[in-house]
Amino acid sequence: MFGNVLCRLVTETAGVHRYVSRAPVIQRLTAAALPAPLRSFSDVKDEVQPPFDASLLEFLVCPLSKKPLRYEAKTNELINEELGIAYPIVGGIPNMIPQEARLIQKDTSTTPTQG
Amino acid sequence: MAASVRLLLRLSHRNINVAAAGGSARPGCCWGPTGPSSCRCFSDATGDRSTHFGFETVPETEKAKRVYKVFENVAQKYDVMNDAMSLGIHRVWKDMLLRAMHPQPGVRLLDVAGGTGDIAFRFLEYVQSQQERQKRRAARSTQTPSWQDISTNYSTEDEDGPQESKAVVCDINKEMLKVGKQKADSMGISAAGLSWVVGDAEELPFDDDQFDIYTIAFGIRNVTHIDQALQEALRVLKPGGRFMCLEFSKVTNPVLARLYDTYSFQMIPVLGEVIAGDWKSYQYLVESIRKFPDQEEFKGMIEDAGFYCVHYHNLTGGVVALHSGFKL
Repeated sequence: MFGNVLCRLVTETAGVHRYVSRAPVIQRLTAAALPAPLRSFSDVKDEVQPPFDASLLEFLVCPLSKKPLRYEAKTNELINEELGIAYPIVGGIPNMIPQEARLIQKDTSTTPTQG
Repeated sequence: MAASVRLLLRLSHRNINVAAAGGSARPGCCWGPTGPSSCRCFSDATGDRSTHFGFETVPETEKAKRVYKVFENVAQKYDVMNDAMSLGIHRVWKDMLLRAMHPQPGVRLLDVAGGTGDIAFRFLEYVQSQQERQKRRAARSTQTPSWQDISTNYSTEDEDGPQESKAVVCDINKEMLKVGKQKADSMGISAAGLSWVVGDAEELPFDDDQFDIYTIAFGIRNVTHIDQALQEALRVLKPGGRFMCLEFSKVTNPVLARLYDTYSFQMIPVLGEVIAGDWKSYQYLVESIRKFPDQEEFKGMIEDAGFYCVHYHNLTGGVVALHSGFKL
């Protein structure tokens, strides 16, 4: 990745751009260098799930009824009120397979996995 | 209201059927032909329809399970195997897909059967470089801006670009997505423009008219009901959206076909055994390629689903075909 950036620096045609682009590149380099060690600490430390990206809810719907879902932070699930089912979110990745969804109110046991 | 009750009951019926160890009792599809297209897959799952799993014939309900097993086994070594089997040419194929796609900043991509994220990563990189090219062009055209202006332009607009364009990777297999997510983290790709969802290509968990581009690379031959996957693709694309599919296809040249067959059946399962420790999965892989319809037939299927301006390009002499269609 650093190599790419340096190549880009070298092949810049306009002289002005070469000087200017170095500054934000350095910012980018240092910015990129920072999160990585932080990320590895958090991975090792505990099993806290990475946060769910709520912007997905804009277009994510229940695969069965195609209706919008509600994010339940407590159980980390996506709830379809109408059908009374909850889709689990594992490792920040929502699992939208109908067979993996949990029926709410009926019984709390999970439905059998992928048939 | 009635529809939701029906669905709930069908869900619980499905539970009972699965628990009864795949009894062939029809689920309650005596509800009659119902409106929502989502019930299609339930009424078909009677167990007496069969399909191909490689050269084997299996009941349709079995195929999805077995495909899932295959990819669960190969997930960790998937990328390594791709490089070994195709001698690295798969990267060229994927780059050509991106070149044909030519995405502009701000478009939304849905990569189905995206697994380890190859297409999504390439998409984000492509869009980012497009963004920079546009910025450079814009900066060049403005008359003698001060260095202050130029540097502020570069530093502020840089973070916007990748966030505008969004790539959603959807795959039925959790393991493949996990590998993909790890790859993204290690490559340092900004998580802002990239999302991962576990979903079924035949029943996409996305709303209508949401995506500008739908891609499925080397995944559609593993889908049990290809026509359903195509119809779902049509549904989630915006009007004017593009459907693009990379898939192994029929080799046109007879000499090359012979070589390709020999290589496929003699070398690939062996490579699979040596590198991934799994002969059977790769045997399935080469067999499933042979069972997949050829270029013209697949083109017909895409047109039947409702896409317009369907074209295909053969890559590497027909080993791979790139099909493209538009929702109009």
